[in-house]
Amino acid sequence: MASRRSNKTVLQSLTLRRLAPRVTTAVLVMLSLSLMVLHKIDQQPVEKLRVALTDMMAPALAFVSDPVAQFADSFDGIKTMRTMKAENIRLQAENARLHQWYEAALRYKAENQSLKELLNVKADPTLTFVTARVVSDPGGAFVKSLLLPVGVKDNVAKGNAVMSGQGLVGRVIEAGTRSSRVLLVTDLNSHIPVVIQNTRTKAILAGKNDDLMKLERLPIDSGLSVGQRVVTSGDGGQLPPDIPVGTIVQVGPDGAFVQPLSDLERLAYVQVINADIDHSLVTGDVTPPRPKRGR
Amino acid sequence: MAFERGDDNWQESILGILRRWGVTLLVIFALLLTSTFPFTLANIGEIRPSFLLIAVYYWAVMRPSTLPPFGVFAVGLAFDLIADYPFGLSALTLVLAQWITVSQRKFLLGQSFIVMWMGFAIVAAGAGALQWAAFSLFEFHLVNIRPCIASAILTAAFFPLAVPVLSAFNSQLGGRGQGSRD
Repeated sequence: MASRRSNKTVLQSLTLRRLAPRVTTAVLVMLSLSLMVLHKIDQQPVEKLRVALTDMMAPALAFVSDPVAQFADSFDGIKTMRTMKAENIRLQAENARLHQWYEAALRYKAENQSLKELLNVKADPTLTFVTARVVSDPGGAFVKSLLLPVGVKDNVAKGNAVMSGQGLVGRVIEAGTRSSRVLLVTDLNSHIPVVIQNTRTKAILAGKNDDLMKLERLPIDSGLSVGQRVVTSGDGGQLPPDIPVGTIVQVGPDGAFVQPLSDLERLAYVQVINADIDHSLVTGDVTPPRPKRGR
Repeated sequence: MAFERGDDNWQESILGILRRWGVTLLVIFALLLTSTFPFTLANIGEIRPSFLLIAVYYWAVMRPSTLPPFGVFAVGLAFDLIADYPFGLSALTLVLAQWITVSQRKFLLGQSFIVMWMGFAIVAAGAGALQWAAFSLFEFHLVNIRPCIASAILTAAFFPLAVPVLSAFNSQLGGRGQGSRD
């Protein structure tokens, strides 16, 4: 009797042992599914957790990504050695052309300045920025984002525009104490108010998790053509106006598609623009200046 | 099958456990770091191999006690946070991958490296498909599947490179060899 009972318990414990991993897996699967649903419903708690973890990991990531970046740099060096001569000729030609543009820009700048003074334009607030090295590009196939080792202590705030040398790259979506996360313009969740530079047609530039972005909410008959430049409109007050974003490369029945100006796959350094945006950029003094006392 | 040690060796065994945990955590931390590198080489910027999946598969076959399901779950959640994925996406994928691998462990253990690699390729393909489906559902938008396929292929291709590193760490984990505990 006793031996039979012990056999039974052995059997029970055996089935338990076989079942336990399955139950654990099932519980964990359910748990992760419900976490995803909770994340979909409310992003706040996940965001807080993420900022905390990223703040912790950022120094380690920066420490490790330094040698990796140097290795990549030296690799690039070897590769370009061969094409150096052709590159040099091309650059000289480009330099000559750019010099002409530089002269033109100086002329336009002076002209712009004097016209602004005539019109009594309150100038844009000077944009201050902080340059940071990209320590991580964690996204992969689903999410287009960057991690920067600068945070609130460097005046970086949620909503700041992030630029590379060429144009807008994205905007800060999370700012921790010493790290921040940038949502790239190509991400599925990126929607930026823009205007077409020469026609001033307004639109929303939506990321598609792809190389190209799509222009949405266009007015009917907006007369788009390939090659037009797209710049931020500043609507909504999140981003400063007139930052170049990309050029239209494709106009068809599926819509108009824009290619970003910067090579988002190979960003090494970016600038976070931290400016308080002034919404009343143009102010004419309507009321006559009050006469000062004692005169 | 438990420890066949005397009680006088308890200090040693505690040190051994601490060392095991230390090495495991170190490997996991390194994996988390490498899986988020800004790879600017050779245009693989957006498709990077999932080293975590390789480690989970390898340990599930060679030494399931290294990382129990709860550990895999936690690592997945940490990765989701770092990578800005839906919270729980990688956890789900890794837990399921581990479970499936452990269930096939008896078959995989005695096999040649090529067969193990094939097995991993299947797991990587399944994991990629699952992630794609779950993410599309999460965003209510069919995302592009090409990067997922490329990522799965790259992950499978990195397997032979990652395994020697992992087995080097495996030998650091202590004396008890392959499959001594289920």
